[in-house]
Amino acid sequence: MAQQQPILKADDLSKRYEDGVLALDHLNLNVRPGEVYCLLGANGAGKTTTINLFLNFIPPTTGTCFVNGIDVTRDPLEAKKYVAFVSENVMLYGNFTARQNLDFFAKLGGKASLTRDDYYQVMRRVSLQEKAFEQRVKNFSKGMRQKLGISIAVIKDAPGILLDEPTSGLDPKAAEEFLEILDELKKEGKAILMSTHDIFRAKEIGDRVGIMKEGRLVMERTREELQYEDLVKIYIDYMKSEPLTLS
Amino acid sequence: MFKTIVKKEILETIFSYRFPLFAVICLLLIPLGMYVNQANYAKRVRDYGEQVRLADKAASALSIQDIMAGTVAIKGFRPPAPLSVFTQGFESALPRYYEFTQEGFRPGESASDDESILSVQGKVDFVFLVQMVISLIALLFASDMISGEKESGTLRAMLANRLPRDTLLAGKTGGGFVALWIPFFLAFLMGAFVLMSSAFSLGGGATARVLIILAATSLFMLTYFTIGIAVSTSAAKARTSLVAILIIWAGFQLIIPKLADMTARIVHPIRTETEVSLQKSLLVSALDMEAAKELGRQYDFIFEGAPEGTADDEKSPERKKWEGLRDDIQLRARERKAQQLAVIDETYAQERRRQLSLAVNLSLISPSAAFARFISDVCGTGELERAKYLEAVRAHQKALDNDLFSKVKRTLMIHGGGRMSMGFSAMPVDPAKLPKFSITGATIAETFKANARSLLSLAFWLIAPFAYAYVRFIRYDVR
Repeated sequence: MAQQQPILKADDLSKRYEDGVLALDHLNLNVRPGEVYCLLGANGAGKTTTINLFLNFIPPTTGTCFVNGIDVTRDPLEAKKYVAFVSENVMLYGNFTARQNLDFFAKLGGKASLTRDDYYQVMRRVSLQEKAFEQRVKNFSKGMRQKLGISIAVIKDAPGILLDEPTSGLDPKAAEEFLEILDELKKEGKAILMSTHDIFRAKEIGDRVGIMKEGRLVMERTREELQYEDLVKIYIDYMKSEPLTLS
Repeated sequence: MFKTIVKKEILETIFSYRFPLFAVICLLLIPLGMYVNQANYAKRVRDYGEQVRLADKAASALSIQDIMAGTVAIKGFRPPAPLSVFTQGFESALPRYYEFTQEGFRPGESASDDESILSVQGKVDFVFLVQMVISLIALLFASDMISGEKESGTLRAMLANRLPRDTLLAGKTGGGFVALWIPFFLAFLMGAFVLMSSAFSLGGGATARVLIILAATSLFMLTYFTIGIAVSTSAAKARTSLVAILIIWAGFQLIIPKLADMTARIVHPIRTETEVSLQKSLLVSALDMEAAKELGRQYDFIFEGAPEGTADDEKSPERKKWEGLRDDIQLRARERKAQQLAVIDETYAQERRRQLSLAVNLSLISPSAAFARFISDVCGTGELERAKYLEAVRAHQKALDNDLFSKVKRTLMIHGGGRMSMGFSAMPVDPAKLPKFSITGATIAETFKANARSLLSLAFWLIAPFAYAYVRFIRYDVR
């Protein structure tokens, strides 16, 4: 069977900031439909820069980002139609209820004619407590906010999802619930790129895992390969190693 | 997209803790300020009516002897400006009346008889509230519109969607401003209701002027709002925005207008009105004395050696010759006096105009100064009204010179040896037919024309910050 075209693709992507720091160095990766790609790495490794480049929050120095085949730099608005984003600290409007937040972001995502029931259905799907639907978000726990954040991604129904350290700071139960939702989305055929520090969950959910160090993708393993390797050991070895060699 | 952003912005502002505070400030202070100023206006109207009645009574009882003796002055009162309920402007600084005499006009006391503490602290009128309070609130509301969203992370969440940045900026500006404007508008309506329920008349073009005040105030609020947005797009943090807007606010409200006035006083210093008045008095005395000496000399020359009683004999040739010479000397003296006084007046007016022009031009760097200047002129309490008042005073003096003062002649003579004598002649005058003092206020078109620079300043501060914010936001680092 022929391989599907990647939804998210980084092609020789580099980013050097104005202060001269090389945050990303010739990154090549792609994420296909129904695949979860986990980017591991220490702080400053370039994970968030990669996500920022996919969202056109910053322009690349060289290389190209593609979302659903669309060059993000050339046509950022069109590219954003096909990608949803959930950040580490899902930031919502505290004075709005969960439903009002969902309604606002759904409209920004191009879903203009959804009903209250549609919103409730999505929130139920991400296991947000029923009583929280019409509560103001400012009183939500981090887990609840993450669930609402993923429900925003779900309702957008984009083929690509970018997650920037989504399980950071979540308690184990909330993190597990979050991964269950991701698994469902993956089964629906979403291409998911997730940056994380969480090696165990990366191994659990990732179809492929990449390790980044100082802006470079120094290692990439598939789920199958990781069955026979100790990801923790590999990760620690790479973090200790120098100089960098591309695996 | 635009509508979605506008709606979200309105709701977010309404749900914020700042909104009820702002609404209470508007709904309380604006109608209250109008009520207090309306009561004050009603009192001044009553005072004005009474003073005019007394002045008319005095004028109708005026005898030609009073005018000849110069003991009674004719007064022309300025009616209080109805729209001073919105801004006092020069209302209490302008003379309540002018006195008209054969020697010219002089200002009466000013209308400032308020003994309340506000005389020291500044009147809390509508324009004061808009300038000092609402402008600051508009800046505060806008100051974290972009930087606040960046700090909270919602800016990234929004821009992760197919949302053009210009739409986002326009939506946030539009929505944020509408949320700010609604309580202001309601307060304005309440204020208008308070005025109308106090039998305040909105006739005679006042309605159009009130609508202009509403529109100009709305634009002024938008100006400060866009300045706040521009600051917000320049700062990475909401706290930085806050500090910046406080500096801008202080600069526009307090520093620039005061500095403009001080600079103009230093660059173009002028004499005080007292100095000018003294100079004019000295000139008048000197010219009168000169004329009196000339008259005395001619009188002595004509009637020297003539039989006794010749000077009183209206048919004698000496008397006829004397009258011709006297009229000629007096006419020349009057013309010379008028010419030299006009030179003093014009020189002083030029000095004042130059100083005022510099002060106004410099102050117009501030949108607040431009707004206050425009609104006070719309309300008939500004610089334009002062000019119109003076114009009316000059015209009235001229009319009285023709109809009254020219009919009364006093002839002071200084004869050889320093002996002085005074002669009077008068034509009959009907006091009831004397011209009534009236001021023709500036039309709306004149107001706009006179305020072209103020309007230009406001337009600049409306467009430039938004253009700046647009350019900044297009390249804004949302991370």
